[in-house]
Amino acid sequence: MTEGALAFHRRIDAALADAGLRAALALTTARLAGGRAGAFGALPDAEPSRDAARRARAAAVARLDTHLEQFERAVTAHGGSVHWAETAADARRIVTTIARERGIRLAVKSKSMATEEVELNAALEQAGVRVVETDLGEFVVQLGDDRPSHIITPIIHRSRQDVAALFREKLGATPEEVADIPAMTAFARRTLRTEFLQAGMGISGVNLAVADTGSICIVTNEGNGRLTTSVPRVHVALMGLERIVATAADLTAVLRVLARSATGQVSSVYTNIVTGPRRRGSVAAEGDADGPDELHIVILDNGRSRMLGSDLAEILYCVRCGACLNVCPVYRAIGGHAYGGVYPGPVGSVVMPGLHGVDAWAELAQASSLCGACRDACPVKIDLPRLLLAVRQQAAARRLSPLWLRAALPLYAAVATRPRVYRWAGRAAARLAALVQHDGWIRRLPGPLAAWTDSRDFPVPAARSFLEAHLARKGGAR
Amino acid sequence: MTPRPARVQLFVTCLVDRFFPAAGHAAVQVLERLGVEVAVPADQTCCGQPAFNGGFAEEATAMARATIDVLSRSDDPVVVPSGSCADMIVNHYPELLAGDPVYGPKAKALAARTFEFSRFLVDVLGADLRTAPDGPTVAYHASCHGLRGLGLSEAPRRLLRAVAGDRCADLPDAETCCGFGGLFAVKMGAVSAAMLEAKLDAIERSGADLVAATDVSCLMHIGGGLHRRGSRARTRHITEIIADTLHD
Amino acid sequence: MTSPRDRILGSIRDSLLRAQLPAEHHGPAAGPEIPVATPATEALAAQFSAALTALAGHVHRASGAAGAADIIVGIARENRAAAFISWDEAAIECPGLLAALAARGLSRVTYDVSSDAGRRLSEVDALAGIGLGITGAHAALAENGGLVLVSGPGRGRLPSILPPVHVAVVAERRLRPSLADLVREEPRLLAGGSNVVIVAGPSRTADIEMTLTHGVHGPKHLHVVLMA
Repeated sequence: MTEGALAFHRRIDAALADAGLRAALALTTARLAGGRAGAFGALPDAEPSRDAARRARAAAVARLDTHLEQFERAVTAHGGSVHWAETAADARRIVTTIARERGIRLAVKSKSMATEEVELNAALEQAGVRVVETDLGEFVVQLGDDRPSHIITPIIHRSRQDVAALFREKLGATPEEVADIPAMTAFARRTLRTEFLQAGMGISGVNLAVADTGSICIVTNEGNGRLTTSVPRVHVALMGLERIVATAADLTAVLRVLARSATGQVSSVYTNIVTGPRRRGSVAAEGDADGPDELHIVILDNGRSRMLGSDLAEILYCVRCGACLNVCPVYRAIGGHAYGGVYPGPVGSVVMPGLHGVDAWAELAQASSLCGACRDACPVKIDLPRLLLAVRQQAAARRLSPLWLRAALPLYAAVATRPRVYRWAGRAAARLAALVQHDGWIRRLPGPLAAWTDSRDFPVPAARSFLEAHLARKGGAR
Repeated sequence: MTPRPARVQLFVTCLVDRFFPAAGHAAVQVLERLGVEVAVPADQTCCGQPAFNGGFAEEATAMARATIDVLSRSDDPVVVPSGSCADMIVNHYPELLAGDPVYGPKAKALAARTFEFSRFLVDVLGADLRTAPDGPTVAYHASCHGLRGLGLSEAPRRLLRAVAGDRCADLPDAETCCGFGGLFAVKMGAVSAAMLEAKLDAIERSGADLVAATDVSCLMHIGGGLHRRGSRARTRHITEIIADTLHD
Repeated sequence: MTSPRDRILGSIRDSLLRAQLPAEHHGPAAGPEIPVATPATEALAAQFSAALTALAGHVHRASGAAGAADIIVGIARENRAAAFISWDEAAIECPGLLAALAARGLSRVTYDVSSDAGRRLSEVDALAGIGLGITGAHAALAENGGLVLVSGPGRGRLPSILPPVHVAVVAERRLRPSLADLVREEPRLLAGGSNVVIVAGPSRTADIEMTLTHGVHGPKHLHVVLMA
């Protein structure tokens, strides 16, 4: 097993042993998955809605170059600037340069997985820009120097006591200010309000870009997305290059299923669509009274364009709703941190190897029973099990499977394509098993198979197989 | 509805063949009792799912071709006492062999006439089964590949309701994966065990004596867990539960 | 010498040639079935009201500036707001409203945020203590209790995000069944201003222990006055 794989297994063991985490995961995923089921149950046209959302995303990705060029033209026509970042390092450099050139010392951020992917915050801090996360969960993550454990609700792994302790320790909150959740929320609002008002730059992600209008859509429940993209003088938006649809009608098709899939809400509280910076008239009265003076959109590649040509391309339809996490029995057992990367759960198990290499990340795709719950939950009907299998195929081809498996599976195939050897081998295994069985069950299997008997008994093969018995009875083949 | 065939081929599956032959014998019994002749190709082995799920496409393809050969000597429909193996043949064989000019069409043809056991009974035979007067309470665990790959939900439940009547117990989270997942059970043993624990707790809450499913793979995993726990609940394949009612 | 842009677009084109994207079923790119007839205004108002109330928003009915002003002054008193920032009267589409509010002792603070970084900070900071924001709306959506606000001259963003209380005065004729319907009717709407936002209820979060609280960053209280 690779070092990355071993580390993954260690993180899994730690997560499984954390009773508090498991209880929190059970509560959160049940709530979110239940919300999703209820919301789709209430939609009279649930399946057609998912189909329409998929078509919108598929059409955009199928002509991604055309749409990105169209998007760039439209953004520029509205007075915005488009930057192209090939790598994470490029993205960091572009944003820190924008900040440095304008003497910006404070930036507020609304939640963006892409900014975590490129590790933007650390780069900005190094460039002398203080960065403040404004999504409540991400704010707590930042205070605790922690990492989010879920795409949508970042601090499932934190109790209210954890949050209270952080606010008291790091921000000097008084006991009254953290007495209960409403108090803590109000405290966070007051603290972050100051930051919003003093920041020279607002940094956001992009839920979806609209190619023909040059618009970007940012969706939040808290309103930090609106404040981040409206109050500071400069707005920088980082967008994965695949996060685009062709038209406004396509955007509404995806919005119809997005919040319903993420939390079960009909829509998020704030669906914020930005088209260029504030608009100028020939006189002040004809222009916008507020809004950013500059809009910079950074289009991020970081492996996406290459993934588009691979057998993992379908994952580019993803709209990062988190629905697959909430229904995944593996995610429910181990949580987000165990996956070890920015993107956890079923989607992460495809995206991490896809963007950052099979060698380091393929083991994530082994952490699935291929039950298919994720595919059923995905608002754009991504065939996640098929993609997980594609990662497994790449891993097998690169000889990343454990040695015993690399020996056993080809051997099994060789036996299974030779019926007489197959039947003989079966009889031999049955005889062997009969020696170590105890009332029809085996309590300890050898080597890597011990992982089975660590937690359950293994049935003894029958003395006489079905084929042996049936064919003996019926007197021969066919 | 597919017209009622006079004869079927049984693809018994490697796990039933070697570990739970009684489920295979029960399948034959039930089908014959329903007036269908059952042919059993002697040289059948394994559908190749373990290799396929492991990402060993070459090995899986070899086993797929072999199985297609075995089941294509005759045009008779194929009945499979396993949702996951039926799913493999119906959904994954055509995909695996899409580029193969000889086996591609054969895979599609085979897929079109392959049925999981309970679907065959309900959708093809329209089987009418008697309710057994007494017996254990039965809870149904919905095996994933059959459920989500084949849309198998109503057919097995209908059969169980027919034979067990009001002795059917509701299993909480019946459609949540039990954690078997093939080699997953061994490669990710700790997670598999955690998922199993949740399933065993649900079984306990249901109060059922018997856990039924269309797949012996799930049942050997659940059964192994029940036995290790010292639970009084047992597992039984759907073919056996139905065959039980044929004994007057 | 190629640019990052050229290289990225080139990489995309190369990939699309190799692309192993699944075959898609063709069909209209957007939207499930359109409802055959638009429901009557009263039905839309009832649906809108139920949806917004379920989200902890408030819906009031009024006709005329005086009626609207009375409601708004009541809300201001409840929340101890002495002043407000707002859209221009023409944008709110309630002639006489601002005068009626002034007459009832509620004063409007006007602003025009500077492009100068330093002045901008102090201007915005000065607005921070204002307790009430008043806007109109381009549309009210019955499906989710949402308000569609389009920024532009006389239609600032800050009144609907900065103060803790947001009141939107909306003509009933601006009710629509859903966002999809609105976009079908007005395909260019979403780019009709530098900011188009659909606001569905007061600000909320459940980040801490999945416990719902309101008023995290956006307004804690959202009131809609539907005008006959």
